[in-house]
Amino acid sequence: MLLCMHIASFALQVARRHHGIAASDEPALLADKPDRGRIIDLDERAYALGARRGQTVLQASAATGGAQVFVHDSAHSHAVWNDMLDALDAVSPLIDDTAEGTAYLEMRGIDGDAQAWMDRARAAVAPFGLPARMAIGPNKFVTRAATYAGDGTTCSEEEGPALLAPLPLEMLDLDCRTIDRLQLLGIKTLGELAQLPHGPFVRRFGSAAKQWHDRARAIDPTPLRPRAHELQIDAAAYGEGSAAQAEQVYFALRILTDRVCSDLERAGRSAATVRLSLQCENGDTKELDVGFAQATADPRLMLDVMRAKLEGMAFGAPIDGLRLQAMRLEEGGVPAPLFGQSEPDSQALGLALTRLEAAVGTPGRRARVVPAHRLENRFQYDSFAPPLRVAGVPPATRAHPVPQLRMLAVREIRVAMRRNVPEVVEARHVVECAGPWRLDDGWFESPVARDEYDVLLDDGLLWRIYRQGERWYLRGAYD
Amino acid sequence: MATTAVRVRSENHAFEGLKAGLDVRAAGRIVEADADAFPTGIAELDRILGGGFPRGTVAALEGPPTSGRSAILAGMLAEGTRRGLGAIVDDGSFYPPDLERAGVDLDRLLIINATTPVGSARAADILLRSRAFGVVAFCVVPLRAAIWSRLAALAHKAGAVLVAIGTQATTELAYFASTRVRCAIERVLWSSDRRLFCELDGYELAAQVIKHRRIAPGASATLRIAN
Repeated sequence: MLLCMHIASFALQVARRHHGIAASDEPALLADKPDRGRIIDLDERAYALGARRGQTVLQASAATGGAQVFVHDSAHSHAVWNDMLDALDAVSPLIDDTAEGTAYLEMRGIDGDAQAWMDRARAAVAPFGLPARMAIGPNKFVTRAATYAGDGTTCSEEEGPALLAPLPLEMLDLDCRTIDRLQLLGIKTLGELAQLPHGPFVRRFGSAAKQWHDRARAIDPTPLRPRAHELQIDAAAYGEGSAAQAEQVYFALRILTDRVCSDLERAGRSAATVRLSLQCENGDTKELDVGFAQATADPRLMLDVMRAKLEGMAFGAPIDGLRLQAMRLEEGGVPAPLFGQSEPDSQALGLALTRLEAAVGTPGRRARVVPAHRLENRFQYDSFAPPLRVAGVPPATRAHPVPQLRMLAVREIRVAMRRNVPEVVEARHVVECAGPWRLDDGWFESPVARDEYDVLLDDGLLWRIYRQGERWYLRGAYD
Repeated sequence: MATTAVRVRSENHAFEGLKAGLDVRAAGRIVEADADAFPTGIAELDRILGGGFPRGTVAALEGPPTSGRSAILAGMLAEGTRRGLGAIVDDGSFYPPDLERAGVDLDRLLIINATTPVGSARAADILLRSRAFGVVAFCVVPLRAAIWSRLAALAHKAGAVLVAIGTQATTELAYFASTRVRCAIERVLWSSDRRLFCELDGYELAAQVIKHRRIAPGASATLRIAN
């Protein structure tokens, strides 16, 4: 048997409670953002007055004649829902949280009868002050429909079709066009839908109609998918003596850090923050949240940062308890190809890039070649993120060393021409010259017209120069 | 008596063989390939370096502005990005399209823009410390001996090659570099004789090993760098 707990317009109810406003006769709307937002949820009174989801706040307010408008806080709503699920863990260990506001609890094997189960669930969520409806049923669809039929409904497998029969088609989450089509055929309730012959109905409305028809007949094979419990990784040392010196605290901390990091590695996670709780003999407790630039499971790094944070902290009495808790867990596994050569540790690389940005002031970049006419436009820089090689090291190819142009800061130079060929460049005689290569670019925005030359000078320098108008410029040197 | 003569001849023969081998080795013409070497991708240079630049060391590529140093470095970066990751610390003067033509995988080449000597040293320090880069290149900058000592130790720990490229190694770099190669262009190659219609085809350069931890200095080779 399943127990369904449903809170209608959950996000709206949470927003109401968050603002300390009790449910009243006044219609209420929930918008996705404060300015120029759209309605994402509304209560029955607002719906009855003509407001709908997707309307702008202005449209909905005009329709309802000045309803209360709340702004959705998804993080808060999610946190409240998680707290409710944690509270429901006391009722059943298997909870399927389909969506915020609707949870299914597997009650088979739980002591007590249906009424006792619902009473326990009500007591568990009572502190949250949200209007929860409970029902017991044989499968998810029937149980959910039972909450709609009435709070506290208990429905056995045999009673399912009878319970569903008077309910409207909207229970099936159909789109408006399908509901209209069904209503044109004179089908307005689940009971009427259930009486249709299965095969012809599915053939007429497509494969999705099979599920609608099954559900209307109280058949729902959707399995219960228990939610994953949040991983908690921590280590503590209490009642193992007291520490009056910093070295003793660091020693204990090192042991705890090793334990936490070992657990993190086993779970394939890394922690972006750790919370250190220190308890003193006189009862004082201090909590220290230590964040890392990048989530880590490296005990040495963790300990170094914590030591730096602890430097200079004073305690009124010796410390007799320590607890280290890993927070903000992130995926810590390093993707590794099965048959490839070992790739650099992505964590070490990420850390190096962060440090480089802090040290140099600019982030590390990678270059990308793009088609362009001008030399200086033939490449772009973007952030460095090396792709993971899954096929190992590429085979060695024959090296093809080519002359490398080094871009210099563009500066004006003096060039003397003879017979339209550069003869003297910056007081050096030209030994060899190639060019000119005419470049006409950017005529549509900032026109550039120039002649480029490669010149070998008598002192061995090989330069790329160009003439733009009457002036000559140095662009780069080959090396 | 006859036995003694045979033994003396035999010893003389062994000595001559050993001496000949040492002479050849001293001349730097034959060096056995070093498994720990980081190849430059240029066969002639790898041959005189015994397979390439030793891993875990500081190397210096010296020469005037147009001497082919960057072309040799591009070969090393091509090899480095083929096997792992490479990094350049400079002021943005390297031209990525030419690096790509030399075989460098630009996706695996980190480019750090550092304008001060201390900034370059700090960047090289962080890159080597991460142990993620097989080759780290940066321009020769005046740094204290202590910094070079630290960078050399980090390169050794990381098993990476730290390549400094410049006109002339500073006294400190000359001391801490395990390998120094001096480059000079011997001949510039053009695609044709008709000057206004030709293009730069490449150049031949002379690379001379002026310091190496395993071979005597003086080994040199002529390298052809051509499009």
